[in-house]
Amino acid sequence: MTSLTLRNIKKSFGATQVIKGVDLEIADGEFVVFVGPSGCGKSTLLRMIAGLEDITEGEIYIGERKVNDVQAAQRGVAMVFQSYALYPHLTVRDNMAFGLKVRKVPASERERRVREAAASLKLEALLDRYPRELSGGQRQRVAIGRAIVGNPQVFLFDEPLSNLDAELRVHMRSEIAALHQRLENTMIYVTHDQIEAMTLADRIVVLREGVIEQVGTPRELYESPANLFVAQFIGSPRMNVLPARAVAGRLAARGLNIGAAEGVGMRPEHISLTAPESGLLRGRVALSEYTGAATLLHVELEEGETALVIANGPAVPANGQEVGLEIAREHLHVFDKAGRAIRPLVQAA
Amino acid sequence: MADALTEKGSARSWRAPRLTLRQREAIEAWLFVSPTVAGFLLFFLGPLAAVVYFSLTEWNLLTQQATFVGVKNYVDALSHNPDFWHVLRNSFVFAMGLVPLNMALALSLALALSRPFRGVIFFRTVFFAPVVTSAVAWAIVWRFLLQGEGGAVNQMLALVGIDGPNWLREPDWAMVAVIVTRVIKMVGLNMILYIAALQAIPRDYEAAARLEGASNWQIFRMVIWPLLAPTTLVIFVITMIGSFKVFDHIYLMTGGGPENGTLVLAFYIYEQGFKFFNVGYASALAMIMFVIVLVLTVVQMTLRRRDMQ
Amino acid sequence: MTLTVRQARIIARICWTVALLVVAVPFVFPFLWMVSSGFKSATEIFGQPSLIPRVWRWQNYLEVFEYQPFARQYFNSLYIAVAVTGLTLVISSLAGYALARMRFAGAGLLMLFLLSALMVPEEVTIIPNFFLIRWMGLMDTHAPLILLPVFGSHGVMATFLMRQYFLAIPKELEEAGKMDGLSPFGIWWRIALPMSRPALAAVSIITFLFSWNLFLEPLVFISSLEKFTLPLALSNFTDSYGLPLWHLQLAATSLAVVPILIVYLIAQRQIIESFALSGVKG
Repeated sequence: MTSLTLRNIKKSFGATQVIKGVDLEIADGEFVVFVGPSGCGKSTLLRMIAGLEDITEGEIYIGERKVNDVQAAQRGVAMVFQSYALYPHLTVRDNMAFGLKVRKVPASERERRVREAAASLKLEALLDRYPRELSGGQRQRVAIGRAIVGNPQVFLFDEPLSNLDAELRVHMRSEIAALHQRLENTMIYVTHDQIEAMTLADRIVVLREGVIEQVGTPRELYESPANLFVAQFIGSPRMNVLPARAVAGRLAARGLNIGAAEGVGMRPEHISLTAPESGLLRGRVALSEYTGAATLLHVELEEGETALVIANGPAVPANGQEVGLEIAREHLHVFDKAGRAIRPLVQAA
Repeated sequence: MADALTEKGSARSWRAPRLTLRQREAIEAWLFVSPTVAGFLLFFLGPLAAVVYFSLTEWNLLTQQATFVGVKNYVDALSHNPDFWHVLRNSFVFAMGLVPLNMALALSLALALSRPFRGVIFFRTVFFAPVVTSAVAWAIVWRFLLQGEGGAVNQMLALVGIDGPNWLREPDWAMVAVIVTRVIKMVGLNMILYIAALQAIPRDYEAAARLEGASNWQIFRMVIWPLLAPTTLVIFVITMIGSFKVFDHIYLMTGGGPENGTLVLAFYIYEQGFKFFNVGYASALAMIMFVIVLVLTVVQMTLRRRDMQ
Repeated sequence: MTLTVRQARIIARICWTVALLVVAVPFVFPFLWMVSSGFKSATEIFGQPSLIPRVWRWQNYLEVFEYQPFARQYFNSLYIAVAVTGLTLVISSLAGYALARMRFAGAGLLMLFLLSALMVPEEVTIIPNFFLIRWMGLMDTHAPLILLPVFGSHGVMATFLMRQYFLAIPKELEEAGKMDGLSPFGIWWRIALPMSRPALAAVSIITFLFSWNLFLEPLVFISSLEKFTLPLALSNFTDSYGLPLWHLQLAATSLAVVPILIVYLIAQRQIIESFALSGVKG
């Protein structure tokens, strides 16, 4: 079984610590996504698992085996790089067979495995081309094919879609999801794109400045973010966070006491529009952005804050119009001074 | 599930000594650099240390024994031996003549040849051709061309009514001749360095200056020349060092003559060391050359660092 | 009459070209004169000079080989240059790779030492190297002509050139190699080197020419005629008074220079770029 265990992993480059103690268990066959803003250490963590960075402190186990000092090639992992890292002087076939050749797999076996992988990725027609003759999407597929042929226990993906255009990115995303369903291998995937994280992951690991902020299923992260950072990182457009003093009074009037909270979060998609007098909040539409499926409203609140609201349906208020904003109590997120979520969210007064 | 990746791995980990990845990498790296390091110690660092020691000794040719004499060789060079100052002066005259001439010509040619036009490849090829030619061949041919009587250069000068000197037999003219022929030999190298630098300057700068009404000269003076400064510094130093190292050119064109008029430092070291076997004295001279080159290098590095800030 | 902008431009172009042609004379002329004089008799050389020989004396080229073992000397230069080039490629690319990509204690110090070697002219260390080579029993052999360039400042320059090039290779390619199970040696051989062909070509070109044109080292270390290299051999066409035998010397020089020039004319772009690359490093 190929579970993965990270125990108190730390990493320093010189005097700067970039990973500050990470503990994580990854189950066999799980698709885990590391997500976070750039510089959060997600790629470094992945590269430490791959064996491309040495481990300053802590232990990494792949299955039962401690791999701290096992060389990259002997860890049973394969990696898909951001730049694909296809050897420019080798054909697609030779690129895919390269690792097998290095490991002295017999030629007939090599050929069989390359054929299989190529067939599953629809690369047969491209086997004799060179990487420079391929499109971005094709290169991406070859990079995945190269990872598949080695039959690894764990797949590692380092921002594999970030060099593709938007349309292709969506397409390849679904291919990677299908790949996981088919192979059922453990996969670890690094991205800064929270949509990719949400759509692909069994579990998401949110990292910031070398520390895990939260681990959970996409739903857990979306519905009950552990802190302000996760709340604002997951979900698009970002969650509105209003200072507690701006809304505390009105909430209290409805029988909700938010106590020591510093901030109250509301996702734009959870806010509905009402008549100006009857809403929890009241404001004026400053800007409306029509996206086709919905309209994104920038509402200037009486308190001076701006809230984003997603309005569905045909009746969208015009710029300058007064509106009231309403939200169901189960959709309120409350955060304390340190940014930690307060749960249960809202207590009856 | 047959697994190519791990089977081999576990097999190997039985034999491999327990090294961290980092230790392993360091050992492998030292294997990579070991030939270079060995050669460096044997043929460079060792000899460099030896030359310091030799420079403090006097060598007895008969007994092949070295006697420690302290700084005597340096004192000899700096205050007793009139040849030394003469040689040093020659080296500086050579450098002062060669460097500005070389750089001015290189820059002019580069400016003329940095933009494509019909024939640009032809001219670049022509101006660079002497660089790939051996210095020996170049010196031999020019010695032939510069003969006093019947030399092709003087014959051509005669056509326009000039009575050319016996170039390589008159000390001052000999110096002029070795400088000019050396410039022709080496200018191509600096030319292509300047061309590369010029081509790296975005054309937008020039276009912007032109829109503001700058003349060609103003564009050169106020836009291009300042942007070339780092290149100019590098070229200046490598040309300067090169001019202090010049040996084969002098050896074959004038043999240091006439009347030691072209006796330069590198040649003098060779003469003292390998013709007269004044090993100690020659080593002291080599150290002086080393210091000159070192000073030039340090000056370059300091200027470059200041340039970067 | 006023000129249109177009006419003015054409006239300026013509003036420029003529000026460049005039400047080009001293660059081309020596080669022409060398070849033509190599075909002249000893007497014609001192007569009224003309670019075309009155009588083409092909025997000059036979006498060159009779005067001294010129074929042997030619071969010496060729094989030494090949050996120096081969060794330099291997040694400098190995060290350059480690300095570009591997982390090891002492790397910084090593870089500093090598940089200092880049600055020091051969003339400074030639005297102790003379004693070293003599002590090793390698006087009047070709060994010093191979060892000193490989490990001297030229080799260091090649190392830095290779290092610079390796630094520009995307690191992920080598990491992919690592994941594929290559040893560092394997990565160097199967990924870094195949991707560094331009740098390898540049190092080959400048190293070959450096060795081919080397003069001081042969002069110091070689004494027997049949071990001479070309530059030494060329300087050796003299009569019993030590005066040059011009017709032979120029014929021999032509034999040494013209093949290089032909290669240069064919591959001028590549060769010039190689020097540009090394010059920027130096």
